[in-house]
Amino acid sequence: MMNRIFKICAYGLASVLMLTSCTKEFLNEPQPTDSVTDVVVFSSREGAEALISGMMRVTRGQFEATDTGGLNSLFFARDVKGNDLIQASSWFRFDYAHDNREPFYRRVRFTWEFPYFMINQANTLINGVNASDLAQEDKDYLLAQGHALRAYYYFQLVMEFQHTYSYDPSLPAPPIYTELSLEGKPMTTVQEMYDLILSDLNTAKAMASDYRLDKSYVNINVINGMLANVHLVMENWAEAEAAANAAYEGFVLNADGYDDGFSDMANPEWIWAMPQTLDQSNYYWGAPHSFTDFNTLSYMATHVNRDFVNLFSDSDVRNIFVEGAVGGNEDNWFYYTTNKFVFAFDSDHPIMRTPEFMLVEAEAKARQGKEAEAHDLLFMVQSDRDPNAVRSANTGEDLIEEILVERRKELYAEIGVEWFDAKRLRRGITRTGNHRVSVDLAPDDKRFFLKVPQSEIDANDSIDDSVNANR
Amino acid sequence: MRLKLTSLLTLLSAFVMQFAFAQEMTISGVITDGMDMPLPGANVMIKGTTTGTQTDFDGNYTLTAAVGDVLVFSYIGQKTEERTVGSQSVINVQLVEDAQALEEVVVVAYGAQKKESIVGSVAQIGSETIEQQQVTTVTQAIQGSVPGVNILTAGGVPGTNPTIRIRGISSINASADPLIIVDGAPYNGNLNSISQDQIKSISVLKDASSTALYGSRGANGVILITTKGGRKNMAPELNLTTISGISNNAVDFHKTIGSEDFMKYAWEGLRNGYIAGGDDATTAAAAASANLISELGYNPYGVNQPVDVNGNIIDGASLIWDTDWKDALLRDYGSRTEHGLNVSGGSENTTYFASVNYLNQQGNVKTTRFERVTSRLRVDTDVNDWLKIGANLGFTTSNQNIPEQEGSSFNNAVQWFYSVPNIYPLYRRDANGELIYDGSGNLIYDYGNNSQPVNGNRPIFSGENGAGALYNYDFKFARYNTDLAGYAQIKFTDYLKFKTNLSYQAYLFDSYSYIDDEYGYAANVKGRVSQQRNLTTTMNAIQTLNFNKSFGLHNLNADLIYEAYQFKLDALSAQGVGFLPNVGALDGSTTPESVGGSVTRETLNSILGRVAYNYNDKYYVEGSYRRDGSSRFAEDVRFGDFFSVGGSWVLSREDFLMDVDFISFLKLKASYGELGNNRGIGYFPYLNVFETGWNQLGNTGVIQGGIADPNLTWEKTASLNYGVEYGLFNGRLSGSFEVYDKESVDLIFGKPLPPSTGNTSILTNIGALRNYGIEFSVNGTMIDTADFTWSAGLNFSMDNNEITELTQDFLIQGTKRWEVGRSLYDFYLQEWAGVDPEDGAPMWYKDILDPATGEPTGERETTKLYGEATRYYQDKLSLPDIIGGFNTGLSYKNWDMNALFNFSFGAYVYDATYQSLMGGFSTIADQAHADIADRWQQPGDVTDVPRLEANYQDLNASSTRFLFANDYVRLRSLNIGYTLNQELTETIGLSNVRFYFQGDNLFTWQSHDGIDPEQDLNGVTDSRSYQLRTMSVGINAKF
Repeated sequence: MMNRIFKICAYGLASVLMLTSCTKEFLNEPQPTDSVTDVVVFSSREGAEALISGMMRVTRGQFEATDTGGLNSLFFARDVKGNDLIQASSWFRFDYAHDNREPFYRRVRFTWEFPYFMINQANTLINGVNASDLAQEDKDYLLAQGHALRAYYYFQLVMEFQHTYSYDPSLPAPPIYTELSLEGKPMTTVQEMYDLILSDLNTAKAMASDYRLDKSYVNINVINGMLANVHLVMENWAEAEAAANAAYEGFVLNADGYDDGFSDMANPEWIWAMPQTLDQSNYYWGAPHSFTDFNTLSYMATHVNRDFVNLFSDSDVRNIFVEGAVGGNEDNWFYYTTNKFVFAFDSDHPIMRTPEFMLVEAEAKARQGKEAEAHDLLFMVQSDRDPNAVRSANTGEDLIEEILVERRKELYAEIGVEWFDAKRLRRGITRTGNHRVSVDLAPDDKRFFLKVPQSEIDANDSIDDSVNANR
Repeated sequence: MRLKLTSLLTLLSAFVMQFAFAQEMTISGVITDGMDMPLPGANVMIKGTTTGTQTDFDGNYTLTAAVGDVLVFSYIGQKTEERTVGSQSVINVQLVEDAQALEEVVVVAYGAQKKESIVGSVAQIGSETIEQQQVTTVTQAIQGSVPGVNILTAGGVPGTNPTIRIRGISSINASADPLIIVDGAPYNGNLNSISQDQIKSISVLKDASSTALYGSRGANGVILITTKGGRKNMAPELNLTTISGISNNAVDFHKTIGSEDFMKYAWEGLRNGYIAGGDDATTAAAAASANLISELGYNPYGVNQPVDVNGNIIDGASLIWDTDWKDALLRDYGSRTEHGLNVSGGSENTTYFASVNYLNQQGNVKTTRFERVTSRLRVDTDVNDWLKIGANLGFTTSNQNIPEQEGSSFNNAVQWFYSVPNIYPLYRRDANGELIYDGSGNLIYDYGNNSQPVNGNRPIFSGENGAGALYNYDFKFARYNTDLAGYAQIKFTDYLKFKTNLSYQAYLFDSYSYIDDEYGYAANVKGRVSQQRNLTTTMNAIQTLNFNKSFGLHNLNADLIYEAYQFKLDALSAQGVGFLPNVGALDGSTTPESVGGSVTRETLNSILGRVAYNYNDKYYVEGSYRRDGSSRFAEDVRFGDFFSVGGSWVLSREDFLMDVDFISFLKLKASYGELGNNRGIGYFPYLNVFETGWNQLGNTGVIQGGIADPNLTWEKTASLNYGVEYGLFNGRLSGSFEVYDKESVDLIFGKPLPPSTGNTSILTNIGALRNYGIEFSVNGTMIDTADFTWSAGLNFSMDNNEITELTQDFLIQGTKRWEVGRSLYDFYLQEWAGVDPEDGAPMWYKDILDPATGEPTGERETTKLYGEATRYYQDKLSLPDIIGGFNTGLSYKNWDMNALFNFSFGAYVYDATYQSLMGGFSTIADQAHADIADRWQQPGDVTDVPRLEANYQDLNASSTRFLFANDYVRLRSLNIGYTLNQELTETIGLSNVRFYFQGDNLFTWQSHDGIDPEQDLNGVTDSRSYQLRTMSVGINAKF
């Protein structure tokens, strides 16, 4: 009996000891299988490229809700604030009513958090690549994209959270981060923001080439496009002209593709885009397509102002408006819709197209008194779109006005062009025609920018409630 | 007198027999109990042999034994006696009641203890309590029966597991759920896989002393579920139960408005919108009449401009439809059927229990269904005098069909009838309002996205139909659970045992969804099928060495345990689009949309020990220690040490209380311990990683995941418990009173970061929470006669939650603000200041600021600008002040009745459903509550409901306007039974037959109507379906 006990005790003890020695291995065995470490990301060009690919994917992602999904939502909220589109009582309706800027609102939260999310990713990329052992050539290629994307999102922030640059560059602007921080930073000024944006874009430009993986990535054209718009806002006309011209180098106008539904980035006009496939889709969050297309199941909520429709001649390829898709007569706000965008889960979204930068170049030239060259460029776009187009004879403000109208006709519902111009030129927005909600914005109206979100104020020791006083 | 005579006779006969046999002799006698009553059926055995007999009806026995044999006399509930055969042939024995044997044995951590010896806080409910309820998930049976346990069953989906909080909420980010142990091993399947008739007992371990052996996982309390087994020397018993019933909603819904009212109010909202936009009243009214139909998209009247410029329905117009969405989406009655069959029994060495159970239950949303088959087999056997082995095998399969009924997706049925007004038709209509039929002559659900000017485009939930979604989509969950446990126990000596225990569980969860190819949100991709298959396997091995010996009056019990736990989650998912009609298998997909898969592992390795000592069953001391290593933390910080000490003093055994007659039992106890928590934080929370899967076309994409703290480690909870247990008047009144105080430190907390950093939070060990409270229970037997018994019990707890340390001054969490000294559940909201009688605008309070300093002066004023409104603490919590239960049992002859109430007082609920129904036509096509009739209409109106106005986003902005007291009392369960007379039963060959009625949630009294009082702990509603009121009749027969 005792013998057996000893045997079993010895066995038990031995097994306990054995098990204990296994403990370390036993506990180290589990490792994640759905993620990778920074070692993997920054040890090769492909690894760092994967981080850029991830960022490009998030660009059209599903960040918070249908009206706050990605860069396209940010643009579309600007679009519906103008005079050209009419939004039904659906998503974006509060943007349409100019009633969506309070610190608790989703629009405000998203417009703040989404760019900062991308900026943090860009900072990780820039700092990770700088600290890596990659070849200089690879570093340049990667850093150009990192700096450009960081600048691009700071540019969106400064546009959305303060008056325009020409109003007063000393006004408070959102905080700046160039590396990972666990502490909130204080507000900066509009001037500091633009200094960083220009510095980043110029750095990027010096490193970039025309090479890229595909049209959804940033190359020298895209960086020039970004620069063109930044200089436009800063009213550096000569720089805007040069950058705009460089932006569309290698791209052509393509009237034939205008009525293809704006859903394929292979269009030779497109410079920068958000591609989608059935397995990489933002589904119904894909404004403008999911709101303007009345032929496919989606929200069917965005209509076109009668006065805007009337700007298009019959022979204009862009005159693809539909009358009475949901009935009514021309006085009804819902009477006109557009076939510009075809909605599908794999519809690509444009971000930069050739005509935008031709018209930027035209405006910049006109501003510098080079009106004949401006006429050439304007007519290049107009005649491509409309075989019956007549070369403009306008001069001075009339010419500028014609270019701005052409920008709206060309780019409506894509990138918030009407809002962008009204804001940077401090013109205000007056609603005419058959609007559902008629609210006008005076020049420099505070409703051109948003309040700082409460979530930031609550968590940031360097920003308090006073930031929204008088905002 | 009779006894005396019998003894005399046997004595005489024994004397005579003595001459006949020298060695072998016949012994006889009478066995009586402490009251001198004969004990029929008592055992008499010759020790060390299998020879023995039983007493007859009068307690007499006779058997043949040799001189020197030892006779063992035993009877259930009595102390066993031994006598050595000598010269006398008559041995009469009086057995005395064995208080300890009768006493309840309670399942505790890694073992069982006598209730009396427990120094911690453990409550156990047995099968008799569980049998009086009909629960789909067994933990629901705890509700109202155990003080200090808050059970919330949110929603009416059958098979939903309740949220359980034991003694408050001791974690913020990590899990606050108790650890669930089934037959000794952590349970990683879905708890709804165990049917109630397989449960022998559920123990709730509440304090540190009782949970310390679970160390790192014990901080939130532990629930031990023990399945049934057989009994030794028990004739096979067949037990059949069948119960069937119907269910509907336990409480009424919010009242919504019909089409006519809707049209009038929508007109009014539109008109007011135009006035706010600058139109004069006449123009606005005309415009509202002209535009109403185009704004709504639909015209249920079918006539042009059905609402005139005065806001009335024009003469002669009548409704073509007035859709009752609730009727279209909800069942009048759902059915519930359960059949259970089990067999148990045992021989001298082996016991067994086998069970099968079938359940089919419908929920209140149409097509909601839960169907389950469970089976279990348990065998225990003594191989010889030193080895005992056993095995327990359970297999369950269940199918659940759950259309969405919580949250914010379009097809959530509850949200649907609270959002979509009656003016939108169930079936498609043409522009004139006529029904449209498909090619086969069937009606077509209206998805609100038809290309026609009127009755074509529904502004709300366009592209969806709540009722169509129930039939055109499938949301099926299938679960297969197998658990297998085996053990071997070696008894070295009477006092030293070794037990090895291995459990294995495989749980396969298959979720399948089908979205129609023709209708609904996947119609444009020709339908979508998504399937996910997760295989969870758990292995748990426990080696226990137990020492249990008495040295005189000193009793010592010690355990040394080694445990290894391994968890693996193997997930696989696929999704495809492009299906032919009626094809619902992924094979039929033309385009794969996504595939995914990952393998997650977790390991935990532990060594633990417990020493319990008592002196003369009077003074008890117990200590436990556990060291855990967890793969959830980085190598340097993954080990944690946890311990507890506790003691108790049974005063009633002291001389000075022996003579106090009315006190039958009195015990004081105290314990302290420190426990950990590592659950609910993901499997690798300490790693900074890049998430895969963010591919861009053909290029691999990653995104930097949330920021992590590499030194993240265990949350720790220090827990203190004091208690008194009492039994009065010979145990007729018994109960307990306990006080607890728990402080959780190093909380695994998502410290918020300013969003401008690009991260919203970092998971780190910071912050502390305190939970403290009291628990009280009393149970009494008022009447106890042969024909009539009446007993009742009351228990309640008062639990408090307080933040004791935070990383920042305060932290806004939705409707709450966390700061030191406040509860996690303290509402912090804009304060409603009513409606301005002049213009009908909503108003809130705001602080008046000192112009010089910018600080609040303490004064406040009203504002109509919501953005300016100040948020205030309301001193209202979503946690109740007091929760508890009351039960009573009555039996009279063959009738018995049991009722269980549970109650909750002092909590507040934020009724977001009511809020959305009070939108005031800010969004023109949203359904409204009947209370909207009280809206402000003209200057001078004094009301609490603001004016209606299209596009006025703040009309129903979040404020105390939607915060309501949420007190309730619920008759959780009522069970009335009738047992057939024994003679009658036996004539039909059965041993016991009982018919009964079982009602659940039959009655609810609540302070705020329209919602189920059981909502989330955070007190915010989320368009959930309601709990079920179920009425059933059943029969239980034993063979």
